[in-house]
Amino acid sequence: MKMLSDLLMTALYTVFVQNLVLSSGLGMSEAIRVSTKPGTFGKFAVMISGFSVATSALCGVIDSVESVAALPYSLRAAVYAAVLAGVYIVTAAVMKFIFRASAKVLGTLGIAALNTLVLAVPHINNYAAYSFAGSIGSGLGAGIAFVLAAALISKGSQRIAENEDIPAVFKGTPAMFLYVAMLSLAFAGFTDTNIFS
Amino acid sequence: MAVKADNQKRVKVSQIYGDYLIMLAAPCIVAWRYYGARALLVIAVSVLTAELCDLLACLALGRKFLLKDLSNIFIGAAIALMMPSGIPLYVPASAAAFAVLAAKIPFGGSLKAPFVPAAAGFAFASVCFKELVFDYSYNSSGKLLGARSLGALLANGNSVHLNALNTFDILSGNVAGPMGTGCGILMLGCCAYLFVRRRNALLSTAGFIAACAVFSMIFPRINASPLTSAVLELSSGSLLFAAVFLLTDYSSQPVGGVFKIISGALCGIFCMIMRYVGVYEETVCFAVLLTNGISPVLGSAMAKNPFRSSKKTPQNVSTPSQAENK
Amino acid sequence: MKNENISFKDMFIKGAVIFNPVLVQLVGLCPAVAASTSLVNAAVLSVVLCADLIITCLLASALLKKVPRWIRVPLYLLIGIAIICPVLWIVETKTLTTLSLGMKIYIPLIAVNSVTAVHCEQFSVKNSVKLAVYDAAAVGIGSSIVLILVGALRELLGASSLGGVTLDLPVAFKGMLLPFGGLVILGFVAAALRAFIAEKYPAYLEESGPVVKKPENAAPKPQPAEESGEVEEVELFDEFWTSETVETPAEKEPEPQPKPELSSQEKIRWESQRDIEEFFKSLGLDSDESGVDKQ
Repeated sequence: MKMLSDLLMTALYTVFVQNLVLSSGLGMSEAIRVSTKPGTFGKFAVMISGFSVATSALCGVIDSVESVAALPYSLRAAVYAAVLAGVYIVTAAVMKFIFRASAKVLGTLGIAALNTLVLAVPHINNYAAYSFAGSIGSGLGAGIAFVLAAALISKGSQRIAENEDIPAVFKGTPAMFLYVAMLSLAFAGFTDTNIFS
Repeated sequence: MAVKADNQKRVKVSQIYGDYLIMLAAPCIVAWRYYGARALLVIAVSVLTAELCDLLACLALGRKFLLKDLSNIFIGAAIALMMPSGIPLYVPASAAAFAVLAAKIPFGGSLKAPFVPAAAGFAFASVCFKELVFDYSYNSSGKLLGARSLGALLANGNSVHLNALNTFDILSGNVAGPMGTGCGILMLGCCAYLFVRRRNALLSTAGFIAACAVFSMIFPRINASPLTSAVLELSSGSLLFAAVFLLTDYSSQPVGGVFKIISGALCGIFCMIMRYVGVYEETVCFAVLLTNGISPVLGSAMAKNPFRSSKKTPQNVSTPSQAENK
Repeated sequence: MKNENISFKDMFIKGAVIFNPVLVQLVGLCPAVAASTSLVNAAVLSVVLCADLIITCLLASALLKKVPRWIRVPLYLLIGIAIICPVLWIVETKTLTTLSLGMKIYIPLIAVNSVTAVHCEQFSVKNSVKLAVYDAAAVGIGSSIVLILVGALRELLGASSLGGVTLDLPVAFKGMLLPFGGLVILGFVAAALRAFIAEKYPAYLEESGPVVKKPENAAPKPQPAEESGEVEEVELFDEFWTSETVETPAEKEPEPQPKPELSSQEKIRWESQRDIEEFFKSLGLDSDESGVDKQ
């Protein structure tokens, strides 16, 4: 019961209180890009959550080894990156050779796996000293936070595109930045600190 | 459709914000009554900064500056009224500048802004000057709780028992807090005016207040009866003010009665959750911004609901309702 | 060969200014929004980003052209981490410099930065080593200028200091140190860049304007013969980071064209959906013309 509670609390914290995309700025490029393809939200949520959970769990296990825990930060960062790359390659190989996944699925898989959001999750787990259940919750929350951010940004891009009164110099990316800034400001109501501060 | 298009043309920014300014006159007088000339100075600085920023932005962008665009006066005054009277003048000035330059101008003006500029300005001030924005010690002698605000009282989780005398003090705004937002009785008057002018807009307000009241009754932060908890939560900070002046914003309010109520209720829930787990004493402006961002997503989801018989499309969900433009 | 004669200056103007990766293409936002909270932080991140970008693009162009894409993409991460971690280790152990925790965590994240992946996949593996290095340098400098500008402005506004030197400013806006502050500054810097492009390179302003997707009832794009295979793969990674369909570039049709009627679905394609491949095409570079190995 405590494990489930840890998992849910960490997931909720990661989605709302410290939304990893809008409050922490992780995976923002990908969220903005995905926001223009609303049909892919579900697929991305599953993939990002899957990669985050798998990477978090493996890194959690590796961190529990004393010799790894004693490594300097730079080497631990290399271990996390290697784990992520390994998880991606294994998943992609399984998808390609066993499930005969199309190249499109493999392309999406690469983007969902190799981004700052997924690689940051093991660092966050280590920094926040999450339990194993908490690490899983953090991974799940990362995927949900990503999709929430992408959905909010998606509507923003639509509203900006439909708004013909936007001054010429603010059209396009400037208005988009400011729209995302307002969303980020809204989430700042939950917390006034950066995740690593 | 033709009638709708015709109505769209008749919408004037001065008309919308003229109503708001008429309503804002009363809180300004109350602020002056409780806090003296200092309150009027804060309001004046905030309004002038908003106008000046709009003027400079219009010059820079080669646009025509319209003095009759009353939205700047509304933005400046609303931001000032949500702040304590003793606040350093640069705080409301920078909040008003942010509201105009970052939340209004880049999105094509007040009637096209996806986020309520006044809420963005106050949220910006809260994030940047947290200690100053929630310091209500100025001119607090004679107030019900001295320099302590209702928000601080609720955050500490004290035991509270209300009697007739202190209930009137609370409802009349005689408690340390934002200088123009504490008088609940006055807010009822503003609601009555808005009911006459744009009654549909009040649906969001109703949903918001109901959600906040129910939430505070179910999850009280203080050791008191559910009713006391609800009265104190609703009276603290700028909650009622935001419900009347910010949630009813023309451009960011969703279309459709049910949808207005739902988005208002959602805002209320966000506001209360932020009060419980957040770091700021007053969170309603953050909740309004979050609702402004989430409402269109919710609107699209509802429009796609196969069980819903409405003919509205996802595109028109986020546009302002003409039905309320009476 | 025509494409080999392109000057670094030309690539720089287009790669760093007109199609700035952060401000126009919206890639590599994490370091700008989350980590560039001071001038020093931004400078460190810029150096790491440039080194990662140039070395990875060089290796991608020289060695990875024959490697399947699904293996190539994680290799960029491993190359990046192989560059970054030793530097981080030397800084931490061999010098007296102690990086803040926030800084330490964001540096390894550069290895999965979208700027590197996009430019390796879209350019380096399709062009010669020389051009790949030119492109990486131009894009790296363009990103670095934005990072440093954003970092300096955030430190100045948020902490009343610059480069760690405390300035006697009357007001500090602490919120500017949060990601939202970075986004606000990026918004205004992007607007300034847009104004600059309108002034100096007006032909490119419309090109970086709304990207129009062909209506769904329009003539369908020719479908590849097979669902799998390398040719299909090349389109798929690009599909995410670029818009699928763009009207004829302005260079080819200088006369102002009547704007096509946009359906609401088309309007969703907002301006920042700039087709990155158009950038390369505007340089006269693409996989068909470059004459380098194709997969």
